[in-house]
Amino acid sequence: MSDSLLKVEDLVIHFETEDGTVEAVNGINIELAKGRTLGLVGETGAGKTTTALSLLKLVPTPPGVVKFGRIHLDGVDVMNTSEKDMEKLRGNIVSMIFQDPMTALNPVITVGDQIAEAIMIHQKVSVAEANEKAKEMLEIVGIPGARSGEFPHQFSGGMKQRVVIAIALSCSPKLLIADEPTTALDVTIQAQVLELMKDLKIKYEMAMLLITHDLGVVAEVCDDVAIMYAGRVVEQGSLREIFKNTKHPYTEGLFNSIPNIDSRKAELKPIRGLMSDPYNLPKGCTFCDRCDYALEICKTEKPKRIDFSETHFSECHLYNDSLDFQLDINKTED
Amino acid sequence: MAEKLIEVKNLKKYFDTPKGKLHAVDGVNFSIEKGKTLGLVGESGCGKSTTGRVILRLLDATDGEIIYKGQDIRQLDDKQMRELRKELQIIFQDPFSSLDPRMTVSEIIEEPIKLNKLIANPEQRFERVLELMDLVGLSRRLMNTYPHELDGGRRQRIGIARALALNTQFIICDEPVSALDVSIQAQILNLMKDLQKKLGLTYVFITHDLSVVNHFSDDIAVMYLGKLIEKASSEDLFENPIHPYTKALLSAIPRPSLDNKVEKVILKGEITSPINPRNNCRFANRCNFAEDVCRQSEPKLEEVKPGHFVACHLFKE
Repeated sequence: MSDSLLKVEDLVIHFETEDGTVEAVNGINIELAKGRTLGLVGETGAGKTTTALSLLKLVPTPPGVVKFGRIHLDGVDVMNTSEKDMEKLRGNIVSMIFQDPMTALNPVITVGDQIAEAIMIHQKVSVAEANEKAKEMLEIVGIPGARSGEFPHQFSGGMKQRVVIAIALSCSPKLLIADEPTTALDVTIQAQVLELMKDLKIKYEMAMLLITHDLGVVAEVCDDVAIMYAGRVVEQGSLREIFKNTKHPYTEGLFNSIPNIDSRKAELKPIRGLMSDPYNLPKGCTFCDRCDYALEICKTEKPKRIDFSETHFSECHLYNDSLDFQLDINKTED
Repeated sequence: MAEKLIEVKNLKKYFDTPKGKLHAVDGVNFSIEKGKTLGLVGESGCGKSTTGRVILRLLDATDGEIIYKGQDIRQLDDKQMRELRKELQIIFQDPFSSLDPRMTVSEIIEEPIKLNKLIANPEQRFERVLELMDLVGLSRRLMNTYPHELDGGRRQRIGIARALALNTQFIICDEPVSALDVSIQAQILNLMKDLQKKLGLTYVFITHDLSVVNHFSDDIAVMYLGKLIEKASSEDLFENPIHPYTKALLSAIPRPSLDNKVEKVILKGEITSPINPRNNCRFANRCNFAEDVCRQSEPKLEEVKPGHFVACHLFKE
């Protein structure tokens, strides 16, 4: 991990509302090397999107407050960068794809102009050159360049998402943040778009931060995985470590909740209860009231980070005494 | 042979659009036995939700028969239909927009009982509401809360309680878990399965998520552009899919596992327009195996082995 492109340290973000303070992100550390893909996995409200937005300084303020933390992006200290300089970064070094392609595009501007706009902001090119480049970008994502004069409503959901990807990639960013890029799409179209993103990632040697709740998508695209729960990364490791050597009970719960397509006999074991209220997080481990393994200590003390390998860590009290403790999911697989 | 609770014959629903007739549902046949679940699967725009709505007469069918307990419900007048609606219910996809934001949880669940004059006595009615809340696992203290105070999973439980409030026997579940997080999704799926066992319910489970139907359904019907293209028992469909579209659909699901990776069939293009479809196989232009015959005539849904139906020209040879 020498070629660090993105480094986030101790990030804390709160939303201060009239009803109280929402502790959305509570101390996150992420490191991403060039050309790697990190999957940020978690449920609604885990703080995935807030984390991603903070990388581009896009957290709405107020009510959002970045309490603490350092973010280094391609050598730039994001926290101490002016809004004007951030604009140079956005769309150029870092691009973001949002979940919903239906609302991410401007309905009254042709898709070609929307791509050209991004190019003209960041590169000194003429309008004609930008339009030419826009057509090229459309071809790259698999849409005939001749359709650049059409409006978003003339495209289907999958094609709109391709247009959004074309905009995001138009300035060859070093980092692409994709926030649930395929969630709104049908499975067959999702397969097409994921394939496209994998190809483009290799072609442009781009790093990617993929935010998703779908462990299936993670298995296909990511090199590393970070599991988020209530504003913290509770487990992080390589794809293999997370899938084959699961350490955190929440990660185990996620795997058990997914209907297994290859065996219909397998019983669904949902995680009981709900995620803790972010207005009022428990004092100890945030997952303890849903955890089947919970110990006394879990209620009162926050778990510390425990390293299993250079890349794999988890925050859980179960391993305080011995790293050899095994969750049920690992036992049954043998 | 168990009794057929519902049988749908040659069901059609066309919509008039400025560009021509939109064939949303185009000759669909299936039947479901009491206490069983039929999974209706397909991509957006294939007509699966419309099928669900037409069956309940929330939309009027263009043609076909819907035989519920031996009578064609398309022939019933409004009064008879109102009576029958007590048995036929629907659970919607979006638990955020399907509940009245200005009613409390208990009012929402009570409403259908009140409207259908099922229980006249307010106290007994209230008892019934509490009973329903227990049944779907909503704690009684939530009785006076409003939907916006609750999360998606709990809201969907309200939707289920409401669907069960009458003498429900048959429920159309239109993507009931698609809007929920996986951990909550599993809770709701387990609940629906338990309720089916307990109350002998019959479900049509509409979804785009094949892994969910596999878990849930006895039979699965795959829809493409208004037509059923393959129908079989869940096990059979997942083990031996025959139609090229079903195969592609199965292989496209991202699997949360590092082992036994399935060879992906990536489909070309997208679903074509359902407006004035031509008389050929509707999947032909995306199919990797399409031959001339596929572009010339429309394949019929035929039984290729006991209980397994497929509409594909290529399989005949």
